[in-house]
Order: sequence, then C-alpha cells, then structure tokens
Amino acid sequence: MTTPCSSAVGPAPNKTALLVTSGGDVDELLASVLAGEGWILQRAADNQHALARATKEQFDLIVTGRKALGPEDVELFRKIRSSRPHVRLIILTDKFTPGDVISAMREGAFSYFSAPFEASELAEMVREAMAEPCWDDGIEVLSGTPEWVSLTARCDLATADRLVQFLHGVRDPSIPEAEKEQVIFAFKEILINAMEHGGHFDPSQHVEISFIRARRAITCRVKDPGKGFSLEELRHAAVGSSPDDLFSHARVRDEQVMRPGGLGILLAKKLVDELIYNEKGNEVILVKNLNPPKSPIT
Amino acid sequence: MGLQISIRESGDVTILDLYGKAIIGVDSDLLIGHLNKLLASGVLKLLLNLADVTQLDSSGISAIVGTSASLRRQGGSLKLLCPRGRVRAVLRVVRLLETIPTFEDETQALASFRPRGYSATS
Repeated sequence: MTTPCSSAVGPAPNKTALLVTSGGDVDELLASVLAGEGWILQRAADNQHALARATKEQFDLIVTGRKALGPEDVELFRKIRSSRPHVRLIILTDKFTPGDVISAMREGAFSYFSAPFEASELAEMVREAMAEPCWDDGIEVLSGTPEWVSLTARCDLATADRLVQFLHGVRDPSIPEAEKEQVIFAFKEILINAMEHGGHFDPSQHVEISFIRARRAITCRVKDPGKGFSLEELRHAAVGSSPDDLFSHARVRDEQVMRPGGLGILLAKKLVDELIYNEKGNEVILVKNLNPPKSPIT
Repeated sequence: MGLQISIRESGDVTILDLYGKAIIGVDSDLLIGHLNKLLASGVLKLLLNLADVTQLDSSGISAIVGTSASLRRQGGSLKLLCPRGRVRAVLRVVRLLETIPTFEDETQALASFRPRGYSATS
C-alpha cells in the first residue's frame, strides 16, 4: 500500500483548481461545476503551462485538456506529483493509447475520461474529487499489462466509482461496447457486494481485483477480506430464492427487518456468461465470452 | 446528477417523478426514505415515473421490489412509467417488466389503478 494521506492534505478553505483548456462545452461545464462549489479557477493553455504553474503554486485539483495525448497527460501528472504528491488530477483526452488507463491508475490519477464521455459523468467525478477527503491510497496497481491487470481497491463507494470510471475509459475496438458495458455493470455489482459484505465499507480494508483479457473472453476476479458465504444459504438474496418469484427474497428481508437489497448477484449473473465462487465464498470470477473475430472470406 | 424526487397526486394515486441516478449510496437511500415515508403514511397506489432516470442498479431496483412487495401485502400496488434506455434494459434483465405493470403513457397508467367498470363520469 502507498502511505495513507492524512486529513491535512484535504483541500484548503480556499480550494483552487487548475483547468487546462479543452475548448467549448467542457470548459464551460467544468467552470460551472467548480464555481458552483465555491472553488477558485485558474486556467492553463496547455500541459507545459500547467506544469509551470503547478510547480510554483498549490492546486487542489487539476483537470487536463482533452486536446493532449493520453500519455502526455500521464507524464504531466508524474512530473507534478513529484513535487505535489497529493494533488487530484482528472485526465480528459480525445487521443489515447490502450495502456493509458493502466498508466493513469498506476500513477494515482483521480480519474480518467477518454472520448466520447458523458458530460454529466465528468461533472459527477469532479464533485467526487472535490468532496473526497482522502483518496490517493484508494487504488493500487500491483501489476499491469494490457492483458492482465491486478490491483487493490479500498472498501468505499467513492473508490468503487473511480475504478468503474477507469474501466469506462478503456477503449478496446475488439470489445463491442454493449458487452463492455455489461461486464462493467456486473463487475460493479460484485465489487460493491465485496466492499459491503466482505469489507463492511471499512476504508482500512481492501478488495483484490484482477482483469484478464483473453482472446475470446474477459475475466474479472474479485476477492474480499471477509469470511465468505454460501449461495445456498442466501434466502434474503434473489439469487438464493425462487427463480420464478422475484418477490420471495423481499419478503424474507422484510421479515428479518433488512433494508431493500439482494439483487446484485442475480443481476451480475445475468449479465455475464459465468459467475464462479470459491468454496469459502469470498472470491468470485466473472467470465464474459466474446464472439470470435470474423474470418476473412476465402 | 444525483437523484432528485418530486411527488404529486392524481386522485388516490401518488406519482413519484424521479430524475437522475437511482444507484447505491445517497441516491438509493433517498429513494428508500421517500418510499418508506409514503408507505408509512398509508399510500396504497404508487406510480414511479422513470422517464428521467439515467442509471439504475440493484440497489435502486431493490427499493422498487421491496416497496412493491409491501404494497401487495397491504392490497395496494406499484406501477412503473416510461423506463428508458439503459434503465429499461436492466429492468428487463431481472424480468421486472414481466412482474410489475409498466406503462408508456401516464393516462393509461393512472386508469389501470381504477377498478374495472369505473368511469370518471359515473
């Protein structure tokens, strides 16, 4: 684990953001979100200008411009972090390479958006960056190649949101967008379950995660720090109740005075091809098969 | 955008207009809080307008399923209005659209709460 940040590194009362110019709607959106929260805005025309300013002045948040290449943004962040280790940086880029997301996570970027992205999602992530008091030990990349990434994630919702946004930022033309979205959705459900039931949303606990990109499948492994469970005993979860009666688990939860829930595993199971738990029940593998590439007509 | 909720009434039907995300965290807590208050106040006919919901996860769906189950036990009912795009897709995945009556038109949805043979002029 990296050294945990202390509460002292949170934004000062006069919080300041440095925005590298993207142009158009993105600049207006960011200005409106940050100004709405009372932040002071500074602007830089490009990464070189941003680096010059960031080494001289303290910024709580830096958002890169979408015109620069992804690797240039990661390099900018690496240089800034050497003197400002806890600055939050959100990378926006229209031009990226497949390894950028891993590099951005490894360097400790707060978030990563590759085009096309939803303006509302960006606004939401900026708000999270502004609100999160301690973030930079949340995700730690243990090893990373384009085919196999292993990492740990702190057991809190904001870290889950950040990790999921990094996954959205991965652009692999060989993975159909619809299937990618299904994998991310299923992964998030399983991740939240692991953080909640295995880690009790305790920020001192971490979930172990691996993503493996095989030629014809995507695999995600999630291991939580908990004692595990048995699927057969989960009468309060939809996956353990009658497949024809979606309401039977809700009745059990009501009887046991539990809050509404219990649909995450069922939902994940329906979105991927296989969901395999280990014997203890604290480790799960999701497998999503990809259609084989079409052979050229001979 | 986080979840925003506005409540209106049409006859004895309570309509919740939802805007934004209904996902785990403060959003689903807000939704569960509103639904529980309505149940506690004796509401029996509930229409959830999902037209402007942009994201729904298992937490948001669970709030809907739990409320629907409670209302059924009390002789009431919950119905859905206009789920769109990704929200409709995820409801279809868990087969909720087959279980909870879902409408594309508010007038038809409201009419479905009335007993058969009922006419507004009668």
